[in-house]
Amino acid sequence: MAKRNKLEIIRDILKIIQESHSIKPTPLLRRSNISSSRFKEYYSDLLEKEFIRETYGKNKEISLTEKGCRYLEKYSAIVDFIDEFEL
Amino acid sequence: MVLMTGRVIGRGLGKLMNIGVGSEIIYSFVIIICSLMIYFGTKELYKLSFHKGIKYFRQAFLFFALAYFFRSFIKIALFYFEISELRNILPIFGSITLFIFMYFSSMAIFYLLYSVMWKKWESKSTIYFLHIISMAIAIIILLFQNPLIYFLINILLFVFISFTVFISFRQSKKKKSHNLYIIYLMLLIFWIFNILDILIPNFLQAFQLSIYLISLGIFILIFYKVIKKTG
Repeated sequence: MAKRNKLEIIRDILKIIQESHSIKPTPLLRRSNISSSRFKEYYSDLLEKEFIRETYGKNKEISLTEKGCRYLEKYSAIVDFIDEFEL
Repeated sequence: MVLMTGRVIGRGLGKLMNIGVGSEIIYSFVIIICSLMIYFGTKELYKLSFHKGIKYFRQAFLFFALAYFFRSFIKIALFYFEISELRNILPIFGSITLFIFMYFSSMAIFYLLYSVMWKKWESKSTIYFLHIISMAIAIIILLFQNPLIYFLINILLFVFISFTVFISFRQSKKKKSHNLYIIYLMLLIFWIFNILDILIPNFLQAFQLSIYLISLGIFILIFYKVIKKTG
């Protein structure tokens, strides 16, 4: 499997959350297929950029924000644009 | 007789190829609008991806818009006062405007180059270094009112940027990037012509219409490529 770049890892994490509607941090880490230290970096980055939100019920759950959904919608356009202009 | 006819035809062609203030405004307006639409049209892609390449690409077109604004300002002032150099009539104001124009012009080209090269050149100081070079170019142009210096600076810029683009193109594995590098090189060449048109009055007057039309074509082509990808 080819090494994923940052945009692909973000897409994969957001997709897992979208498919599950809301998910606990540990299964998300397991399914993300990255090391826990990198996961922490991505997780805090996604929270900071408001792509995901934490909700506290019985347990801590993670769900997508509107911005996170928009990222998934626009992902192909972003990649195409970067590819087109060699950015 | 033949000589006189030649002169008349030459004068007629000169008038035909010369650009009036109305055309100058339309030319600048179209390029400023294209550049700003590229800048604002890619805002969402940047806000979602925080990709540095997109950031520098957007900034290049913001600087192109600003540079063209000051360029048209200088051109309109030249028409208004019927002079060949703004510094002749308004020394301080003319110098400041020329400095801002040269700084924005150089930075626009550097940002475009950096949008392609940022992965190889990534360092916090690179962008500051490019700002310093742009300021140095603007200061040299202000201090030395010599067409030879203007030529030398623009030739150096052209050689440095085209060499960097050529190396980057050779390393690129994508076939379609060939077209992009040609577009960027054309943009660079005609951007230099636009700068020389301001710095050395009457130097490119005979080719002004062609330069303007090709420059417009390049900006519209880039705008079209952006719109096609951003929707």
